[in-house]
Formats: sequence, C-alpha cells, structure tokens
Amino acid sequence: MHPILGNGRRLLIYLLAWVLVGALLTVALREDGPWLITLAFLIPLCLVFGFVALSAGYICRAFPLDVRARIGNLIVVHLVAGTVAGGIWIALAAAWARAVDWLSNSTGGSALADSQALPLFMVAILLFWLAAVCHYLLLAFEASREAESRTLELSLTAREAELKALRAQIDPHFMFNSLHSISALTTSDPVAARRMCLLLADFLRDTLRLGSNQRIPFTEELQLVDQFLAIEQIRLGARLRVTQTLDAAVARCLVPPLILQPLVENAVLHGIAQLIEGGTISVVAQCAGPMLTITVTNPCDPDRQRSRGVGLGLELLRKRLTTQCGVTEGLRAVEAAGSFCATIHIPVVT
Amino acid sequence: MTGATGATSAPLRVIVVDDEELARRVLCEFLRAHADVTVVAECANGFEAVKAVSELAPDLLLLDVQMPKLDGFDVIDLIGNAVPVVFVTAFDSFALRAFEMHAVDYLMKPFGAERLTAALERARERIRSKLAQPLRAVVGAARAATAPVNRILIRDRSNVHVIPVEKIDYFESQDDYVAIWTGGRSYLKEETLGELERLLSPDRFIRIHRRYLLNITRLAKIEQSLTESRSAILQDGTELPISKSGYARLREIL
Repeated sequence: MHPILGNGRRLLIYLLAWVLVGALLTVALREDGPWLITLAFLIPLCLVFGFVALSAGYICRAFPLDVRARIGNLIVVHLVAGTVAGGIWIALAAAWARAVDWLSNSTGGSALADSQALPLFMVAILLFWLAAVCHYLLLAFEASREAESRTLELSLTAREAELKALRAQIDPHFMFNSLHSISALTTSDPVAARRMCLLLADFLRDTLRLGSNQRIPFTEELQLVDQFLAIEQIRLGARLRVTQTLDAAVARCLVPPLILQPLVENAVLHGIAQLIEGGTISVVAQCAGPMLTITVTNPCDPDRQRSRGVGLGLELLRKRLTTQCGVTEGLRAVEAAGSFCATIHIPVVT
Repeated sequence: MTGATGATSAPLRVIVVDDEELARRVLCEFLRAHADVTVVAECANGFEAVKAVSELAPDLLLLDVQMPKLDGFDVIDLIGNAVPVVFVTAFDSFALRAFEMHAVDYLMKPFGAERLTAALERARERIRSKLAQPLRAVVGAARAATAPVNRILIRDRSNVHVIPVEKIDYFESQDDYVAIWTGGRSYLKEETLGELERLLSPDRFIRIHRRYLLNITRLAKIEQSLTESRSAILQDGTELPISKSGYARLREIL
C-alpha cells in the first residue's frame, strides 16, 4: 500500500495540496472564460491527477537512486513515465471538458482544454516529475530512519548481550567454595548449612533478577552486597569484617545493576582472602550535590602474586559506567601502602 | 621418625593445609573414617605448612592451592618434592592444567568422601612404589601463568623468608643450589639458575654469565681488562665476571 493512501490524514493533506495546484493553474491558465468554469475544470482534474502522480512512487521504488543506479536508464524511464502521465492528463482533460460543457451548458471547458492543451501537457509532465522528486526524498528519509532504528536495535542487542555476560560472571571460584562450605557444615552445623544454602539461593536469584534491569534502587544493590558478604563471612570467618557508612540520601538513588557487587567481590578475592589475618572492607556511599560517590576500601597484600586477567572486572565496570551513566571517569581504583580503594562517581538519578 | 614407607599397616601421617576453617573441618571429618590415617597437623596458611612439614615429616600433604601470602605452589617451592601431595582446589584453570599435565592427584571442591578415599589409595600406592611426584614441574607449569614472579621464597629450616625481587642484587649458581645475594647477605635455595631466569622479569634480570643472574639496576659500570674479558662492577663494589654471550645480552638491553 502506498504510504499516502494508507493514511486518511495524509491523504487529505495531499489532496488539499492538489486543490492548491488546481487554484494556481486556474490563475495561470484562465483566459477570458468565467472563473467558476475554469475552477470547475481544473480542480477535479488536479485531484484525479494526484492519484496518477502517486504511481511515480512505484517507479521510484523500482528504479531507486542508489549507487548502482544508471543515470541513462533513470532519465529514459522518467521521460517515458512523464509523457504517459501527460497523455493521461490530456485525455482526462478532454473528457472532463465535455462533462463541464454539459454541466455548465456552455463551451467554456472544451475551449480551455483545446487552447491550453500544450501548457496543460507540459504542466502535467513537470508535476509528475515533481512528484517523483518528492518520492525520492521520501524514500531517502525512510532509508535513513530505518538505518537509525537498526543502529538502535543493534546497540540494544549489544547491551543485552553485555548484561547476559554480566550475569554469567558469577565467579565459579565463589560458587564452588560456597558449596564446599555448605558440604562442611551439613554434618557439623546443619542449621548453618541450611542458612548458607538459602543465602546462596537468594544471592543467585537477585543477581539474575537485578541484572536484567537498566536501573535499580541503590538499596537493592546494597542488599545483594550484604548477601554476598554474609556468604563470604561464613567461609572466611573472623578474617572478613565489614563496615558500611551510608548517606540517608543514597537510598533514593537509582543505579545500573551490579556496580557495587563486583567491587566488593574484588575486595574479598584480591584483598581479604590474600591476607592471613584478613581485614575490614569499608563501604561508603554519599550524595554530594548532583553526584553519587561510592567508595570501597580494603587492605591488600602489596606483594601478592597477580595472575593474568585480574583487572578485567574493573575494566568491564568502567565501560558500563561510561555507556550507562555517560561518565568517562566513573571508576577510579588506587592501590597504595597495602590499601586498595575503588571509587564510583556517577550522576545522581532518582 | 616413623615413616610409613614400605609398611602397609603403619598409619598414614597426614597434614591438612587450608586457610578456610570449614574446608579443614570437612577434610578431617572424612579422614576420621579412615582408621589407618592420622592427621598430625592442621595448618591455616603456607608458613604453618612449611614449618609443620619440617618438624613432623608427614607421609602425605593435603594442600589447598589458593591461600594468602604463600599459596600451595609456594609451599611446594619451599619444601621440594620430599612429601607426596594431594592438591585441593575450588576452581583454577591454570592449576588444573598443571595437574593434568603432570598427572598429579588433586581434589576439586566440593568433593565427597569417596573421592578422598580414592586419592588416599593412590597416594599409598605412590608411597609404596617410592615414585616421586614431578612437583617442581607442576609448580613451573602453574607459575607460567603468573610469571614474572615478584618475590623469591627461601626456607631456612622451618622459617620462610620472602624476598621481593627488587631487593635482590644477583643470583649465583652453586652446584644444585642458587645463592641469592641481597645487601651483602646470601641465602641458599635449591633451584637452578635457568629456572629462575625463566620466572623472573627479563627486563630486570640478565644472565651475564653461566653462573650469574644480575639485577640490572645494581650495575654501576662495566670494566674491560686487557685480556678481552669484562666484568660488572655493582653499586656496592662487587665485581662479577661477564661472559661473551652475557655481554651481548647486556648490550641489547642497555
């Protein structure tokens, strides 16, 4: 279906434009005949020709103006199409002139049609070509819009893939160690074993659930982190200690999911678990004006062996903060004198 | 010393090493079911493990790989392959590859009692046949993932010294040992200079001679004597010989 025929409003505007063309032609072509007869002759003619001109759309689609287009072919096609359209218009004009004669009981219609045959023919060809140009513009506009929506779709798919990867990021090391702890507890402390099972289930469920959102309340992220730390505390015992300092205002903030959890996971894996005596992880979150600042600090062993691939998690988080919060310096990580500090600095969204 | 080697009825004296209390607990629980196994020590870190191995000379080590400060491979680096080992790990692709490559036994957390029994059986078999495990090779393969190393571990009886590589002036080969020179002192380590050269950063440590591996930052100047031979003068005045190929390597980096 032609895009203009398919939409009533568009069709009305289109036909009004042809009425305007008819009026202009009336001014241009009227000789000494009465206004009314000239109008009655030209306006219906233009309206009918409006539908003929729509056929230019099919020709434009069949012979698109792209890199492969052969200019010679295009010119020939449009010359022929224009001539045919002009012929149709003249034939229509002759027939309608007779009808106008009969209706007005005069010869004004056919007199006009006869005397202005050549100008009418030329005007028809020009109008048809104008319609073709408009159609080409419309096609180009459609193509660019399609390209835009395709790009958008692609970026959405990419983002979805990223989130999927994110959810798959649940550290296997963490999983197996937790299961081993549960296995150890089943005989010695069944109540604790069950509690750890439930904590682990909650953590997994929430990670999967939150990961599929664009933004989540910061309190939910904190809850996820609490679950994670509770599990690790069972495993690491007194070695893992945690302090939290939270501004009241941060509770209202919306953040991308899983931004704090990877930092805390790093703090445990590369910080506390690498220290014989363990240490304290401190989480501080505050809103200062338009910015939300989240800081995770933990002691670390400066002489630890660093295996390859460490830092990938931070890199991924940094990229996500760039794409989802529009900040280039959203994450800073500093290690000095046996202390590791990671800071997230993003605009407040509520 | 009551080694179990040979005697099938003698109890297997085992040391359990894991930094997590729960992980030690489950191992000991499984081991209690074996009347012919005695847990002689439980260690929560590598230092305790090295000390316990030195003092108790166990028949078998159940050794966790991921531990703070000294991991399982560091412990092997320090105690050598005197004691058969069953490694325990949660998930470490590098470690697993190293174990598979050299066919040493390992347990993956979480494991059941049957799996542990099978590992004990194989360990007994190994002890009976007096077949040494290729533990140095395992450590080498696992360390390839973390190279270059940033510290050298030295065992002095039951004590462990951790020396950061930047504190080391040079290494000197002495038969089966390597002398590690740092600030005028030296420590001996059972190791080859070639293996050290492979593990250390090639930007910092240069093999200037068949017997010497030099920390390049300690080099003050190169002296050429009349007889075409060259020597390196270190910042503290120490003089080390430079071989022809060693000089070529030095020139490349300087």
